[in-house]
Amino acid sequence: MCEDLVKRVLPDSGAKTLGIATPRKPVLSVSARKIKDNAADWHNLILKWESLSDAGFTTASNIANLKVSLLSKEKVELESSSPASSEKEEKTSLDYSKELEALCEELQATLDGLTKIQMKMEKLSSTTKGICELENYHYREESNRPPLFHTWPTAFFYEVSRRLSDAYKKELLLKHTIGAELAHTADRNLSLTYLSMWLHQPYIDSDSKLQLESMLLETGHRAL
Amino acid sequence: MAQDQPLLAVQVALRKCFPVVEEQQALWQSTLQGCSSLLSSLSSLAEQLQAAQNLRFEDVPALRPFPELQERLRRKQLEAGDIVLDKLAERLATLLKVRDTVSSHVERVFQTYEQHSAALDVDAVLQPSVVSPSVADMLEWLQDIDRHYRRSYLKRKYLLSSIHWGDLASIQALPNAWDQISEDECQTLVSDILVSVSFFLEEPGSCAVSGDLGPCSGAALSAVSK
Repeated sequence: MCEDLVKRVLPDSGAKTLGIATPRKPVLSVSARKIKDNAADWHNLILKWESLSDAGFTTASNIANLKVSLLSKEKVELESSSPASSEKEEKTSLDYSKELEALCEELQATLDGLTKIQMKMEKLSSTTKGICELENYHYREESNRPPLFHTWPTAFFYEVSRRLSDAYKKELLLKHTIGAELAHTADRNLSLTYLSMWLHQPYIDSDSKLQLESMLLETGHRAL
Repeated sequence: MAQDQPLLAVQVALRKCFPVVEEQQALWQSTLQGCSSLLSSLSSLAEQLQAAQNLRFEDVPALRPFPELQERLRRKQLEAGDIVLDKLAERLATLLKVRDTVSSHVERVFQTYEQHSAALDVDAVLQPSVVSPSVADMLEWLQDIDRHYRRSYLKRKYLLSSIHWGDLASIQALPNAWDQISEDECQTLVSDILVSVSFFLEEPGSCAVSGDLGPCSGAALSAVSK
């Protein structure tokens, strides 16, 4: 889509001889607005991600706890020889399984939500890339490029967007794996580690928050 | 028995001190509760760290596509732990402040007592009334309270300063160790004392608190005397 944008602008931008100053100004102010909107979108998407991730953690904990009780129940069943009690146990086991299934569906819905957010993040990153390419086209070899806001070169917005987007992509993949594995895990250490991974999000570096805040500061969303 | 002026001055100082103790005790209790929940978080983090340590990540096929996962997870867990430790340090600073506030108020009462000690009638100091414990008892209780906060603070500070991530088992046991400190000390000491002095604080004579420590009117004196 961004390449389309560049192509669309190409024929209209006219020959070099027309003077570069005339088309440059409106294009740049549009770019700045777009980047400012993108920064706000980043902020909102990350907030949404966090709240969905928190909800997912509650579901995942419930799955892990249920799995533990299910396993201990199975163990009791194996040890118990009385047919009457085993029939009763079977019923409850079935209930447990149903509950487990419902929780897994809930977690899947959360994962779907996270996937949508991550796709939007990718889009933000590629839009920023498009803006960079547009700028490259306008300035060509020129080294003197005024920053859109305070100090950041436009390419740096793309750099940050891409870094954030990559981190969330890896994190999403990890969360999908946790979602797929958690309900099938009998090892207590492993299920606890899965839960811990979901909670602490190892692929989202702590400085990503700093990068986001810097971007909000640079674009004027946060007061200096 | 008519009360003399030096005794009244000490009583005024006591009446000023106990409400401060009451207020600080409430702050102390709520801070302790805050610490308990932070220690539970820390204990849970230690459990997570332990679980990840016990696990051989390379033996879990589902986790193989994830590079440096174990180190990254450990880093994030420890970062979360540091945040909790920072909060604990803030709470500990509050406990220290409670200790110092109580201590300085108790000291002030004893200064007043020292000032008037030569003029104080020993019998009057030792004599309780229907509604009020003896001044000697109340002074002793204030020392007990002061000692209680000092000892309790030191024990808690010592426990928290022993935390290090190399010893996950101790971190997991922190909530119990913390509760044990509370159980070992007389938990109702301060509240029992506050109950014992409640009538003394409400006594009509307590209106003399609004007066100064200077020459008291005969009316104020007779109001206090029983």
